[in-house]
Parts: sequence; C-alpha cells; structure tokens
Amino acid sequence: MRVYILRRLIGIVPTVLMITFVVFVMMRSVPGDPVVALLGDAYTEEDAVRVRAEYGLNKPLLVQYAIWVGKLAQGDWGNSILSGRPVLRDVMIRLPVTLELILLSMGIALLIAVPAAIVGALRQNTWADYTATTIAMIGVSIPEFFIGVLLLLVFSIGLGGLLPSSGWVYLPGTCQTIICAAGLWGNVQYVLMPAFALGVGRAAILTRLLRASMLEVIRSDYVTTARAKGLSERPIVFKHALKNALIPTVTVMGLQVGFLIGGAIVVETLFAMPGLGTFGIDAIIARDYQQVQGFALLTAFAFVVMNLLVDLTYTFLDPRIRYA
Amino acid sequence: MNRRSFLLVLSALVVLLGFVSSVALAQTPKRGGTLRVSYGNKIAHLDFHTAPGYEMMWVAMNVGCGLVNITPDGKFVPDAAESWQMAPDGLAYTFKLRRNAIFHDGTPVDAAAVKFSIERLMDPATKSGMRSFYEPVHSVEVLDPQTVQIRLKHPYAFFMHMLAGYRTGLVLYNPVATQKYTLQDRQQGKPEAVSGCGPFKLVEWVKGSHLVMDRFDKYFMPGQPYLDRVMIRVIKDPVTELAAFKAGEIDFIASFSPEHVDTMKAQVPKAAIMTSKETTPMLAAMKVTVPKDGKPMSVERASHPIFGDVRVRKAVGCYGIDRQEIVKIAFKGQATPWVGMAPPGTLESVNINHLCPYDPAKAKALLAEIGYGPSKPLTFELLTNTEKSVFNIIATVIKEQMTRIGVTANIKLVDKVSWLNSTLQDGPWDMYVEDLLSLLTIDSNGYLSTAYVSAKSSTWSHPRHTDTKVDDYYARYAREVDPIKRKAIGKELLEYMANNMYWNTISGSPFYMVAQPWIKGYVYNAEFEVHFDNVWLDK
Repeated sequence: MRVYILRRLIGIVPTVLMITFVVFVMMRSVPGDPVVALLGDAYTEEDAVRVRAEYGLNKPLLVQYAIWVGKLAQGDWGNSILSGRPVLRDVMIRLPVTLELILLSMGIALLIAVPAAIVGALRQNTWADYTATTIAMIGVSIPEFFIGVLLLLVFSIGLGGLLPSSGWVYLPGTCQTIICAAGLWGNVQYVLMPAFALGVGRAAILTRLLRASMLEVIRSDYVTTARAKGLSERPIVFKHALKNALIPTVTVMGLQVGFLIGGAIVVETLFAMPGLGTFGIDAIIARDYQQVQGFALLTAFAFVVMNLLVDLTYTFLDPRIRYA
Repeated sequence: MNRRSFLLVLSALVVLLGFVSSVALAQTPKRGGTLRVSYGNKIAHLDFHTAPGYEMMWVAMNVGCGLVNITPDGKFVPDAAESWQMAPDGLAYTFKLRRNAIFHDGTPVDAAAVKFSIERLMDPATKSGMRSFYEPVHSVEVLDPQTVQIRLKHPYAFFMHMLAGYRTGLVLYNPVATQKYTLQDRQQGKPEAVSGCGPFKLVEWVKGSHLVMDRFDKYFMPGQPYLDRVMIRVIKDPVTELAAFKAGEIDFIASFSPEHVDTMKAQVPKAAIMTSKETTPMLAAMKVTVPKDGKPMSVERASHPIFGDVRVRKAVGCYGIDRQEIVKIAFKGQATPWVGMAPPGTLESVNINHLCPYDPAKAKALLAEIGYGPSKPLTFELLTNTEKSVFNIIATVIKEQMTRIGVTANIKLVDKVSWLNSTLQDGPWDMYVEDLLSLLTIDSNGYLSTAYVSAKSSTWSHPRHTDTKVDDYYARYAREVDPIKRKAIGKELLEYMANNMYWNTISGSPFYMVAQPWIKGYVYNAEFEVHFDNVWLDK
C-alpha cells in the first residue's frame, strides 16, 4: 500500500508538469500580449520590446518554460506581469476561499444526494422516487449562475438581507487580510449561497448515479441473504448496500473536482468572491502568463491529488480491493 | 398685539427655529463610519504614474494629493498648493504650497517633492502615459521650500487643466518613500511604499478583491476627511452589484453599467443616480493607413485598401451611420448622438452633427462614384471586443445599417487584450467599436489623434492618418491663451477631423455613479475627479 501511494505521489510530478506545459503552450498561442495591458496608455513599441526582454518573453518557448520550472523547483512561482505581486502569495490568499466553497458545495451535494438516492431506490416508482428524480433532473438542467441569481433574489433582497449578496470574510485562522470573521457564522453566511448554487448541480448528478447504483446493489444476492437472515432494514441499507453503491459515486466525485473548479469561476464571479476561480479567469483574460501558470499548477495538483484520494477510498469501501 | 397673538407668534417662531436648527444639524457633516464602495473592475497596480484604468485613478485621488483640483464647472481649486500665479507671458506658473501638507509618513510636501514628482513623470524610464502632456515643461525650480515654479518652453493653455484633471491629474510622490522602496513595492501596494499626501492612507490592497484606506488624521484640510475608512470591493457582475446595493451592503457604485440604470431606478427609487453630459466618446474608428512594408508601426505608410479613401470613410462613417438609431437601441436613448471628436461634456466642445446627417442615398451615391455597388460589393471587418456588451449591440446595429447601403460588415469579436494588440500594434483591422478615454478638454485627446509621421507618434493614434495638419491644429489650439481665439481654432479642428473622418464619433458614452441616500457631500465630476474627503454618512 505504501509503495503504491509513493508511486502515485511520484507520478503526480510528471502529470502536473505535463498539464502546466500544455497550458503554457496554449496560453502563448492565444493572440494577445500582457505587455500591452501592462503599458496601457504609455505603450510604445520600444518600451514593449524592453519589457518583453525584462520578463524573458522574447526567449524561445521551451527556454521560458524551463526557466519557470527551474524557479518553481526553488519555490518561486514568479511574479504577476501586470501587478508585480508574487503569484504564490496571491494564490495562497485565494486558496482558502475556493477550498471552502468546493468542500461545502460537495458537502451540500452529498447531503442532498444520499438521502434522495436511498429514498428513490428503496421506494422505486413511488411519488418519493419521482420527486427525487424530478428534482435531480431540474438540478442538472439549471446552470449555476441561474440558481445563484435566484438565491440572490430570495435571500439577499426578498428576505431583507438574510444573507449577504456578495463578498467574502475569511474564516478565523485562515485570514491573511484585515477582513476576518469574528466567528464561524461571520464566514459561513458568505459561502452558503455560492456553495448551494454550485452544489445543487453536483447533487443532481450524484443522486441519479447513486440511485441507479443502489437499485443494483439492493437486488444483489448478498442483500437478499441478509434480509433472509432476518437483519433489519437499517443495517442492510447503510452498512451493506450503501457502502458498496458508493464506489462509482466516489469515482464521479473525484472527477467532479474539475467541474467544481470550472463552476467556481462562474459562482465566484457572480458572488464577487476573491477565490481562485476569479483569479484564474482574470489572469487568462489579461494574458498574465505567470498567474495562469500558478492557477494551472494548483488546479492540476488538486485534481490529481483528489483522484489519488478517491483511489485510496476504494480500499475503505471495499476491502477486497488491494493495491500492490 | 394681545397676549394670545403674542403667544401664537412666539410658538410659530419656536417651531421655525426648531425646523431651521434641525435642517442645520442634518447638514452638519458627521464624522466616522466606513464608506463601502464597489468597483466594476479590478485595480491593475498602485504605481499611480503608470497604472492603467479609472479604478486606480480613483484610488490615486484619495491616497495622493496634487497641486490643484478642478470643479465640475471648470474652476481650479487649491489642493496642496494654496495659491498660484501665471506669468504674464504664460511661460511660468508659480505655486505656493500649504505649510501643513505632509505625506502619510510625515515627510513634508514641499517644493522639492513637486519637482521630484514632475521630473519622475517626465522621465522616459517611468513610462508614464502622461509624459507627452509634460512636453511643454522646460524646468521645475524650487524657489523656497514652500514655493515652486514650473517654467514652460512655450505657452500651454491647458497646463492647469492637465495638472488638475488629465488622467489622475498630477499626483505628488513622496521622494523619501519612492527612494526607500522599490517600484515593485509600490506596484504591489505595500502601504509604506504608497505614501501619499491625500485624505486617506492605504491600509491593504488584495488584488481583485478589496482595497482599504483609512482616514489620515494629519490631512492638510482641517477636519477632513469625515470618514474613518473607505472599503473598496470589486464586484464585476452588475446584477450582483445591484443586489448588493439594494441590500444596503454597498454605499457607492463608482461606475454603474448604463444598461442597468433603469432597473436600478425601479428597484431602488431612493438611490442617487449621478450623471452628466458625456465626456467619453463612443467610436466607430476607421483605419486610414497601413504599413507600406508590412511591418507593424512602420513609418512608411500606404493607404488602407478600404478606408484610405476619404470618400469611403464619409460614405460609411458619416452618411451611412444612423447615430440616432444607435443611441435609441444601444443606449435606450440615454446618450447623445454626436459627430465631433470631443463629446458634449468636454470643455469647448462644439456640436457639429450637421456635418454628418444620416443620408443612406448620399452614402450609396458616394460609394457608386468610387466604383462600389452590386457588381463590386464593399466588405469590411468590424472589430469589437467583449469588455462591454454595448459594443456588440452597436456593432450589430452598424452591420444592419451597412446592409442598407449595400455594404457588408463582418463582425469580429475578440477579447480586450486582443483588441489592444490589434489596435496599438498597427494590426490588420478596418473598423472598430469602442469607447476611449474620458475627455476633459479637446487637448486631452492630443495623444490619441497625433498624426502618424514619426517613430515618436502616439501608438494610440489608431487610425494612423499621416496628416500633419492635425498636429498643427493641436499645437495652435493648445498654445493659444486667448479663450475666444482658442475656441475658434478648436471648432476648426473638430470640423477638420470630422470632414476627413480621421475620428468617427457615434455618440457620447454615458457614465453613471450611484450613491445611497445617506451619502452626503459627494460632488459628482464625471470620471475625472472622485474624491471622498468631503463625504460623510448621514445615518
């Protein structure tokens, strides 16, 4: 097991580097030049040439990439071309925001999906099942931004400002700026609506998947045997059926991280949250290559690590699975 | 007067006195509180002399101070300079500085600081977009610690306007902090490096998220500022911005999307929506020349294959565009159809709309004269960008208007950076739709319209015409100190630009600020001056 984990951890490095290389090449293939935005109304061709040289943007692509990797190995993520700010510092300020958003939205998704799927599977073809599947269909069909706007209208405007419409206040302990919450609610009130908007779509997907999986499992021989032995319904469902049905769901949850990061871009923009999503999209729009690389590095790393965790979760859910 | 009448009069007087005093009390500024401001765009960086974007400028005006400011009616008012005098020949300006003006770290705002700041702006290494406006400056002399004299090479009628309101106006730099900290420190918003002399000192800037400024207790204006803190947040989505405003989470929107103004009026009837005659031009610019040798920015120029011919420019840009219709559709009538280079809110602007009446028949005839028609249709590319949705609406309306005169406009939608690349770097574009810098005076557009005749010409002269007569007009206009003569030259210049279609304005581009009803003391001055020193919260 340890050897497997070690091998997978070592495998992360070339995977992440490959992803960052692809992003590196793609970004430079897109028309546009960060120097133009940097110089703004003082733009002259001579200054542009000089600034490109300062940032090494006139060097061959492979050399530029090698320089970036070399600096990265020393812990230097580079500085933003446009603001001059260290990329690592900006990323670290924004990481807790997106992390909290993604974790909470996944939590909300599971909170909705697991009971809905169980009810749907156990009461198949009843009103409870139809309700769960219909809600799941609606959840899949409605885009995050639309749910977000509806939540804004209801909770920020309709209910007299029950929840703040936008912005962010850091959790105590993760705060790196002067805007820090005094308590948990101070922070949670800012993340509830975005997490719900992001989580509903994921909940719908997980509900459908888990329901199908549960239907298959509860018809299997060992569940019939358990019932024949006189085991009560609760341990059958939660201990035996659900645990086995979760395997494909966990796989999809791992893959959903990528979608969550994509969805975070939309949701963070809508709720004006200073997270990694808005950081990434701003960097791409401004062609701030250093920031884009930082964003790509972190998201690729998160995606790969998440999938490693998913693989490891299999062994917990199904002890028959062993990694040599 | 009997006793009863006397009592009645006395009661009335007491009531009146109470009313008057309550009004007076309501108008007495209250100290304290946090002003929560929303920006629709992020701040690029905090080196005020070079950073692009209005968002930075509106911070610069509150963290920094200058010599003078300008009021909405064009009057100059003191800032760090308490008085000033222009020499009779217009070749020297002497400024007397306030004795109590200091930077946030305690360094005095003296003549040496003024000299340092202006010389920094004029230094090509600074790469300031304002440098071209300081070209008339010969030298800056320190007469004594409180007196500074700026000597000019030739009279410059807009010197005070430039100091007060072009871009950020002159923002004084703290020589001690500038030398102690690096440019990167300043760009990154390290508070000690961004040591200004304005009413607020920088506390924290988190790029793309928020900026916090606190009251500077030793600000030179006694009692000001009234606010304890100004907290600026970036909210890019106008719907979220509106929701946050309606929920009372923000007090002031620094630039509100024109498309949502009607919704704001309906949703928050008590909101103070501030606007004035437009100062920003909305353009359908046409490229006049292309590099002869194919190398972008080459000084060797050839006529643009389509719009190099002034008759095509006039047929398409002048008679072929229905400005009224564009304003009706794109701005719901909330803008002014305009032909002149200087929008209606610009000082010395002149309405020359009569030069370009919408006349599709005339446009068609002109095109036929050149040889365009059903057998040889005219097709061009209409470049627009994703920054504002109104650009795309205008481009679509123009496309439709072009079909009415037998011309095909193919819309090409790109993002802002790609647009900047194409236009600044002499790329292959035919026409673009975009609004450009807000214009305080006709002169403040100088660097946008400079003829492309040498390597020194402005890259912002996008059409890249080669007509040096425009430069001559500008020089004559800017050096003429007699206002009557200057106005006449200005009118001539605007007519010349329109007649040659070097600059194709469609309309003004409206600008809106929105404030909660409890915001008091704010003086609206378009995009030029956003000052919070006099603002207070009545709640």
